Amino acid sequence: MELPKRSLIILGLGWLVSLALVSFVAGYYYMEFRNLNELLEQYENVTMEVNICIEYKELNGTVLWYNNTIIPLGCNLLQATKTVALVNSTYSPAQQASFVDAINGVWNHGAIFWMWQHWDDTQEKWEYGNVGADIYKLTKNETVRWRYEIPSYT
Amino acid sequence: MHAKNIALLVMMTSLCVGIQLTPRPPNIEFTSLICFLTGFLFGSFFGVSVGALTMLLNGFLSPWGFGATNIPFQILGMALIGFVGGVYRKSCTRTANPSVRWFSLEVSLLAAFLTLFYDLITTISYVMLFNVNIIMALISGAWFTIVHVVSNTVLFGTALIVLVRISGNVLGERTWSYQKEVS
Repeated sequence: MELPKRSLIILGLGWLVSLALVSFVAGYYYMEFRNLNELLEQYENVTMEVNICIEYKELNGTVLWYNNTIIPLGCNLLQATKTVALVNSTYSPAQQASFVDAINGVWNHGAIFWMWQHWDDTQEKWEYGNVGADIYKLTKNETVRWRYEIPSYT
Repeated sequence: MHAKNIALLVMMTSLCVGIQLTPRPPNIEFTSLICFLTGFLFGSFFGVSVGALTMLLNGFLSPWGFGATNIPFQILGMALIGFVGGVYRKSCTRTANPSVRWFSLEVSLLAAFLTLFYDLITTISYVMLFNVNIIMALISGAWFTIVHVVSNTVLFGTALIVLVRISGNVLGERTWSYQKEVS
């Protein structure tokens, strides 16, 4: 099929438009990326990175890692977990700490609980947390894990 | 100008201004379509006149506020759309009329180009007024441009042929004939 000159010109214009739009969108996201990076640099002194793992061991074995999660300095584990997951917790005035009931809609059930552990760099193993998640203050580059499990220390 | 022509001009402009002032999502508009249609049906002069008059009035009446330095650029952009409507019609009559599918494709691509051009020149007025970098201005408004271009592309591609047929029936003249689709 031979196209008239008019159609060819119009097709060319359409091609130019699509190129322009793609460039605009790419530019927009590049600008957003730069702005967010600048913002991160600005807040570098008041933020830290941690690695958070959520393991659904007794549910389906899924393991999700949220590496290099940026949180404010002095943030506790509960607050940090809430930045990456939907958390249901109950505050116990007697314990003066919060108890995590569910993460991402997976609730404690029978003998299965959400337990948290932190990675001990010196001993190179996971250690169970001995306080409530809202009491435990995270440190820079710390690695923590939530595990849906029958606690092994019981 | 003949009284009938003046009446036509006033009617199309009123229609455009009325639609312009109707509450609608940002950057989704029907003025371009009507200006292009006017140019297509009644020639470039009418298309240019309707586009220019509509944007002139819109600059003063728009619910978004007074158009100020933007008005000349809006007039230029919309007048061009009306002008191209007339030119496109002429180019179609010089060669064999395109089929409905080709017509819809061509006008939708033309709409995309003209809308982008309109957004470009109205951004220039913003750049002149606030003395900002034009590339930054274009990039920050990228999603508004995309909504405008895509909505006009779809609108022209689907509605123009229908409006041309209806206008032909209403005006009682065969304003447009197209090649039958090969089945």
